[in-house]
Amino acid sequence: MVKVTVTVNGESRTASVPPETTLLKLLRESFNLTGAKLGCDVGDCGACTVIVDGKIVNSCLMLAGQADGRDVLTIEGLATMERLHPIQKAFEDKGSLQCGFCGPGVIMAAKALLDENPNPTVQEIRDGLAGNLCRCTGYTKMIEAVQVIARGTASGQVTAKSA
Amino acid sequence: MKAFEFVAARDSQHAVALLAQYAPSVRVVAGGTDLLADLKFSSHVPKVVVDISRADDLRTIAVTEEGLSIGTLVTHTEIMRSPVIREMFPALVDAAHTIGAVQTRNLGTLGGNLVTAVPSMDSGPTLVALDARVTIDGSGGRRQIPLTEFFVGPRKTALKPDELLIEILIPKASLSKPTQFLKFGLRKGQALALVNVAAGFWPDWTKNVFTAPRIALGAVAPTVIRAPQAEAFLEGRAMTPEAMAEAGQIAVGEVKPISDFRASAGYRRDLVAVLTKRALEGAYALAQSRKKQ
Repeated sequence: MVKVTVTVNGESRTASVPPETTLLKLLRESFNLTGAKLGCDVGDCGACTVIVDGKIVNSCLMLAGQADGRDVLTIEGLATMERLHPIQKAFEDKGSLQCGFCGPGVIMAAKALLDENPNPTVQEIRDGLAGNLCRCTGYTKMIEAVQVIARGTASGQVTAKSA
Repeated sequence: MKAFEFVAARDSQHAVALLAQYAPSVRVVAGGTDLLADLKFSSHVPKVVVDISRADDLRTIAVTEEGLSIGTLVTHTEIMRSPVIREMFPALVDAAHTIGAVQTRNLGTLGGNLVTAVPSMDSGPTLVALDARVTIDGSGGRRQIPLTEFFVGPRKTALKPDELLIEILIPKASLSKPTQFLKFGLRKGQALALVNVAAGFWPDWTKNVFTAPRIALGAVAPTVIRAPQAEAFLEGRAMTPEAMAEAGQIAVGEVKPISDFRASAGYRRDLVAVLTKRALEGAYALAQSRKKQ
């Protein structure tokens, strides 16, 4: 067994797991954070996307032991009891998701993109979301939602940095 | 995934010691984008996986007396953002950008891409065109070989089970050599190359001829290959669009592509002609723009 301590959404969590456990499995099965999804399991679909030390990664491709000591942000870390994160609100306002399976990954990818580049072009948004496959929407409304945040026209004029 | 033991290396020296201890049933994990996808579907799971992702001494990008040294753990994202690489080798930046997507580029490393050694790898052609060498460390000592000798076959390298690829070196003579990388895939995002190519040369502006031309091709042979006949044709020849097109045609005779569900061998050969010509044109444009500065 490997003992892993990670900061997840600001809180230090520890678990002992078999060495072949992925970060995704650690999050879902040890910490009951089921927002990140198991899709393709080989890093193509992006449904498992989380932010590790500020960068998005496919959590299905990282071993839990590799995440030891690192800072992990998942979709559960965005909204508060009072309100959605501005990116989530923009996705809701624009109707950017249908079945929603890809949503947690897309929103984490959008957050990492906007944290680094608050005013991305459409091409930069497409590049930033290229690792997240969605079989429902055709992506247009997701891109529009990210543009809404980039222009600071989301409700309440909040920025993506406020979370 | 089947069970294995997980050991984290503190630095490269520790990693080499761990490999010596556990070889031959040992694999190295860096970014994990290839290894984990492999282990999930493979019946050959090693007894031990050595994690080198914390070996920070393998993460440097530096210009040394030998040339440009890129640590094996440098990620594709880090290559895209490195000021020195952006300045000297826009082709390496373009190649890194075509690999996977942001998530996989944040995890995946240059060394990992080379070690996996799939024929369509996007890191290979530019480095081969720049005469890159690789430094390998192991219990038998440290050695340096040309990247072309590192690639032995599809998914096969010159690495022994107890050896670690630690550095990719672009020699001094190739620093800032005008080189262009091009890839043709079936989509713009997350596509494997049907063909990828890097072409570069030093322009001799007084005689207006090519010198030291290099053409490297991926996905059209068991490993990344050079096109020596096309290179020999260009050496000392006038830098004209016709010569670049002719070099592309010659390169077609030097590749051995396969037909698969992505493309036929014939289509890949046609791509070799066109992409080689365009890569030479791109390298020429880069050389011209640098001359004006």
